[in-house]
Amino acid sequence: MNWQADWGLRLRMFVTMFLLFALYIVFAAVITTYVGGGLLVFGLLFGGFSLVQYYFSDTLTLRSMGAKTVSADEYPQLHASIERLSQQADLPKPKVAVVDSNTPNAFATGRNQKNAAVCVTTGIMNTLEQDELDGVLAHELAHVKNRDMMVMTIASFLSTIAFMMVRWGAFFGGGHSRGGGRQGGGGGIVVAILVSLVVWIISYLLIRALSRYREYAADRGAAAITGNPSALASALLKISGEMDKVPKDDLREEAEMNAFFIIPIKSGVVGRLFSTHPPTEKRVEQLRDLEREMQSF
Amino acid sequence: MGLLDGLRAILGSRAETDAGRDADPDDLFGMSTAYLTMQADLGYESLDVGALCFSGVDSAAFRDAVDEVEAILEAGREETGTAFSVTSDDHGYHWVVLADDDPEDLITSMHFAADTFIEHGYGSRLLAAVFAYENRDGPAYWIYSFRRGRFYPFVPRSGRERDSSAEFTLESALDGELEIEREKEYWYPLWPSEGGTHPWE
Repeated sequence: MNWQADWGLRLRMFVTMFLLFALYIVFAAVITTYVGGGLLVFGLLFGGFSLVQYYFSDTLTLRSMGAKTVSADEYPQLHASIERLSQQADLPKPKVAVVDSNTPNAFATGRNQKNAAVCVTTGIMNTLEQDELDGVLAHELAHVKNRDMMVMTIASFLSTIAFMMVRWGAFFGGGHSRGGGRQGGGGGIVVAILVSLVVWIISYLLIRALSRYREYAADRGAAAITGNPSALASALLKISGEMDKVPKDDLREEAEMNAFFIIPIKSGVVGRLFSTHPPTEKRVEQLRDLEREMQSF
Repeated sequence: MGLLDGLRAILGSRAETDAGRDADPDDLFGMSTAYLTMQADLGYESLDVGALCFSGVDSAAFRDAVDEVEAILEAGREETGTAFSVTSDDHGYHWVVLADDDPEDLITSMHFAADTFIEHGYGSRLLAAVFAYENRDGPAYWIYSFRRGRFYPFVPRSGRERDSSAEFTLESALDGELEIEREKEYWYPLWPSEGGTHPWE
């Protein structure tokens, strides 16, 4: 069961990553030229902090979501599904966690395959049929398999630094030059902050694009794991339809985790450029293509 | 992780390629000598049953493939006397269950069935081959993972417990005869459904 590889998707992903990389090289060059090491070291400290967060991502993410790791005795069916899907995906079994929430959602976390966790809400288990839930779980396992946490963390590493510079650069640099620093140091700081701002905005958009491409890739991965693209498609439709009905209070706390959700909570007017996930209709469309290809095989 | 694997991960297509990878059934034949060792050295009786676990694809072409597997096994039944049935479990996975008191015939039939799936392009849907034994403590299984191309022992006890010391004994005794999965996190259990004894029940 091998359908055509989506070279267009791979190419878009590659170009996006290449542009990010090029942007970051320019960024590093400008910063070191204009402000020397000081500010960069400061930025790297913040960046290092985000890497430490990444290192503990599995426990941190689960805790911030209010997720509880569950045993096979508590959720035998969920565990059994994940076991078989992982076996099909050639993955060690991830930790299984559940969030007690009516919002139907699922996410994966963990920096590598060995300490990955797959988490679902009680809402999604109640909303979906077994084969639809399998599709969603396979989508999350595909994220683990494709090392999306790692790729996205590395992709946003310098973006985080640029953000920190915009935020703290004026304060930090300003104080430094008032204390009798080099001549023109103040001007350098202004350039650095402006460059950081531009880098941050562009990289933000590129990272969002990359994130959307990886959703498509995970959908394809899920279809390959379950052999059932239409079950995932109907799950996506069910979840996105359901999303509008749930009370707003639940959403507020969970909004920050959007990037890792199968369907982001905020949708609509924010604009396509800013969303981490592609629109559901487009994902369903892609899955429909896979389904058609599979049927004609 | 090789260079190609790394590149696939970076381009987000590793899940797709690995899940769609074809199965390699050749190592299944390692089980034919293992039968003797299990009986003579370890005191495990063969239950003369084996089973193939596969996940279905909702397409006419896949149903044709399953039909052909059944046709081949039907033809083989007259020659080798291997009885078979096709069932599915609580998780929506399908099983071809084969019974034959001659282990050689059992393995050959199983290999035929797996080969037919592969010829039809559905090798990637094969999950595992299971060989059943028992001793006075209860059943024990050798599971062949088509994804990994390796065997691992599975000794289930009541209450969804695994007898890890029995599994360890089996692992060390059959080491060298079977291609054994070294990484224990890939020793996936295949629990029977409620009320069942064997993984396919």
